[in-house]
Parts: sequence; C-alpha cells; structure tokens
Amino acid sequence: MTETVQAPPQKERRQGTAPIVPVTSVASRTLMLLVTIMTFLSCVTVGSVVLIQKSAIGWSADVGREVTIEIRPMAGEVIESNVRTAISLAESVPGIGRARVLSQDEVEGLLAPWLGRGLDLTNLKLPQLVVVEIAEPQALDVGLLSRTIATVPGASLETHAAWRQQLNVMTGTVVVSGLLVLALILLATILAVVFATRGTMASSREIVDVLHFIGASNQFIASEFQKRFLTIGVTGGAIGGVAALMFFLAASLVVSTVLPSESSAQLGALFGRFALGLDGIAAILIIVPVVGGLTALTSRLTVRRFLEQISS
Amino acid sequence: MIQFEGVGLSYGDGPPVLKNLSFRIAPGSFHFLTGPSGSGKTSLLRLLLLSRRPSAGRIVMFGDDTTGLSGDRLLAIRRRIGIVFQEFRLLDHLTTFENVALPLRVQGLPDSAYRENVTELLEWVGLGQRMEALPDVLSGGEKQRAAIARAVISKSELLLADEPTGNVDPELSERLMHLFAELNKMGTTVVVATHETSLLKKFAVPRMVLKDGEVRFHD
Repeated sequence: MTETVQAPPQKERRQGTAPIVPVTSVASRTLMLLVTIMTFLSCVTVGSVVLIQKSAIGWSADVGREVTIEIRPMAGEVIESNVRTAISLAESVPGIGRARVLSQDEVEGLLAPWLGRGLDLTNLKLPQLVVVEIAEPQALDVGLLSRTIATVPGASLETHAAWRQQLNVMTGTVVVSGLLVLALILLATILAVVFATRGTMASSREIVDVLHFIGASNQFIASEFQKRFLTIGVTGGAIGGVAALMFFLAASLVVSTVLPSESSAQLGALFGRFALGLDGIAAILIIVPVVGGLTALTSRLTVRRFLEQISS
Repeated sequence: MIQFEGVGLSYGDGPPVLKNLSFRIAPGSFHFLTGPSGSGKTSLLRLLLLSRRPSAGRIVMFGDDTTGLSGDRLLAIRRRIGIVFQEFRLLDHLTTFENVALPLRVQGLPDSAYRENVTELLEWVGLGQRMEALPDVLSGGEKQRAAIARAVISKSELLLADEPTGNVDPELSERLMHLFAELNKMGTTVVVATHETSLLKKFAVPRMVLKDGEVRFHD
C-alpha cells in the first residue's frame, strides 16, 4: 500500500470529543423505532383501559343514584292514584330525596330505540315509571323501600343491581384484559430489545475488541453501551408517549367535531367526552419511563452477558 | 522483566499451539518474533498481552505473577502493554486524535489532562496535521502510525506489534521499524512479530523464532 498525502476535507473535522459508541447506526435506529412503537401501543392500551374504567364508574354512579318503581296497570285499580301513593311512600323512606313519574314524552323516548318515533302510545297499557332519586345512599335501606313499595298494588322496585353487577364484571374483564395485553407488549418489548441489543453488540464487536486491547474493563465498556441504550430507550419512550397523547387528543377532536352528532352522542355515552383526564395522562406518563427503563435494564443485562461470553 | 515458565497453550481440546515455553525478555530490549505461518506468533502475542490465559505454566509480567490475577490488578498490568495490529484497528467514527487518546479516556482521564501529550505524540509520529481526520481518509502508513501512537500513549512499558508492516509498502515498513527503534531507545520493550525477511535482514535485532510450538532465541 502506498502512502499518499491528502489534504483533509473540511467535512471530516468536528469539534468536541465523540462518544466511544457511535451515536447513530442502523441497529440503534431500529431499536429506537421499536421502543417508540412498543411505548405507543402500551400507552394506547393503558389509556383505553383508563377511559373505559372511568366511563364504567360514571355509568355505575349515575345508575346507582337512582332506583325505579314500576307500576303496572291492574284491573280495578286507578293507576294514577297508585303512582301518587308510591311517590308519597318512597319519599317517606329515609335516604330518598325526590320521586317523580316519567312523563309520556320521556316514556316514548325510552321506547323509541325499539318501537321507533311517532307511534301513538295512548292506547297501549304501559306501566308507569317513577324515578326515585337517592339523596343519601348510606341512609337508604333498600329492603325497607322495597317492602314499602310492595304495599302498592302492581308496584315493584327496580334497583338496577343486576345491571350494575354485569357492568362491574364487564369493566373488570376489560381492565384485566388490558393489563394482560400491556404485560404481553412489555414482554414482547423485552424480547425485541434483547435481540436488537445483541444485533447492536455484534455489529459493534470491533469497538469492544479494541477497547479490550487498550485495557478497558468490562464495566467501562458496558457503561458506554448502556449510556447509548438508555438514550435510545428514553428517546423512543418519549416519542411513543407523545404520539399516544396526540392519538387520544385527535380521537377526542374527531368525536366532538368530525363525526355526525348521533355517532358522537353514542360514543359520548360510552366513553364520556373521550377525554383521558389527569389520571389517564398520568398513566401514560408512567408508562414512558417504565418502557425506557425496561429498555435500559434489558440492554444492560444483555450487554453484560455478551461481554462475559466473549471474555470467557 | 517478562518471564515465561513452562507456558503451554491449547484452544479447547485441540493440540497444543505452544508447548512448554520458558524464556525471559529483558526490560528495554527489542525482539523480532518470527516463524512460519501458523507457528503460534499471534497466540504468543496474545499471551504477552494477557488477553488469553495459558493452559499451563505461569507468566510473570513486570515482576507480577499473572496466574490467577483478575479484575483491576490484571487491568493495571494490561494498561502497561500496548499493541499494534496489521489491520490497524482504529475506530472509524473517531478522529486520529480521539483514537490515540482512547487508552487514556478508558482510564477515566478528562480531555484537558491528555490533550497536550496526545498532540505532542501525534506531532512526533508525523500526524500533527491529521489530528482531526477520520481513519477513512488516512493512508495505510498514517493509520499505522496512529495505531502505534495509540499503543504507546499510556507510556507503555511493553509494545507488541503483530505484522505491523503487512499493509504498507516496503519503504514505509522501514520507516515504521525506525519508529519502533526510536521508541525502544526511549526505554520501551518492543516485540515485533513479522515474517518479512527484508526487515529481518536490514535490522540487527535479536529474534525469537517459533517453530513446532517451541521458541528459540537468535542474536
């Protein structure tokens, strides 16, 4: 090989001391993209679980603040009189705030999803519904209320207990499923980070060998690589977290502004205003350092193992 | 003082590459390590670098028995040894200055503590104008001079070179050998593994000849 004298081009010069492990490489870019995607999926999962749980709690609380008295028409009975009696008796029970009968329009509104609008219901013998608002849930003896109402002919009490139980079971299932999905995503993240780290270490073998030859300890080499992986984990995690927050913000905007009002109302009934709220944002902000830390920890263990293997 | 006592080396269950080596290398000496291909020159250099442990015998480096040494004590001895390879082994993303300063960085020294020494050494090996250049734009001779500078920047007491002239032309080979001779005059013990007969003829340096796993010394 012949030695030649070349003037160094300007682009080969730089200021400051470069890190021993290169800042960017194909492997590190791949790892960052992977962490970003995994963080985004984790945050969307957690955010969705929080959203559903909050909505379910809201539904349950709304339903729990009321009970309904149903008064069926009976031969020989004046239903309006029985309604007034039921209202009076209900309001006399401790813990009950106010009781009122649903108007014809309200009843039609409730039946509209099944029977459609515009039907003349005056000839139908429909039960009368009395909505009873619970003012002090702790003071209310549901058994007493039920027994009191049972004295009115054709009246029965609906506490929505069965529906609330089903709702709780459904919510619990969604939360457990969400946590399971989150655990699987985190497990997949760990496995992917292990493979990506091994790839990075294999492609950086020359650096490791040179560092060994010049007297660097495994601890020093590991710390140089760990710094790089921590940066990748935190950066990828932050990008994924911000992307998830943007996703929920966009979803909220779409629900409130883009979708037709009926679709928006149905989604609103299910998920409220589709807003994460402080607890949802807090959950996402917790996920970001968890994924970043998990990446750094997994890489740390993988790097150490790699160094032990090549040193033995 | 470097002392080998009954040192043998095998890889796995394979036959011994080096057998029962016993010799001493005096401080400040200069030796060529020669022998046919596959005779174990690189293996012997690895033992001298303490990057491999012998299968048998013991190695005493600078007065310390290295048998069973590990951790910081082994690292402290290894940092007194520099090595140069045929293929240079500079890190492509670091400048000449950063490559040469690397042994000092791994010892935890800050840039300000070594800037002057590294600059001075690079001037001495003729790379004063190439300090900020990346290895990609250096010639073979410049790369090897940078590698030599890296090997001695920590004031190495022992400098090992594995076919250091294998990737440079004959004229430059001689210049590199003069550089090794200069370092030796300054007190560094030098062992250069080479099979280049022209260099062996030109430089009157004692030889360690490896053959069939055994070493013989020739003045």
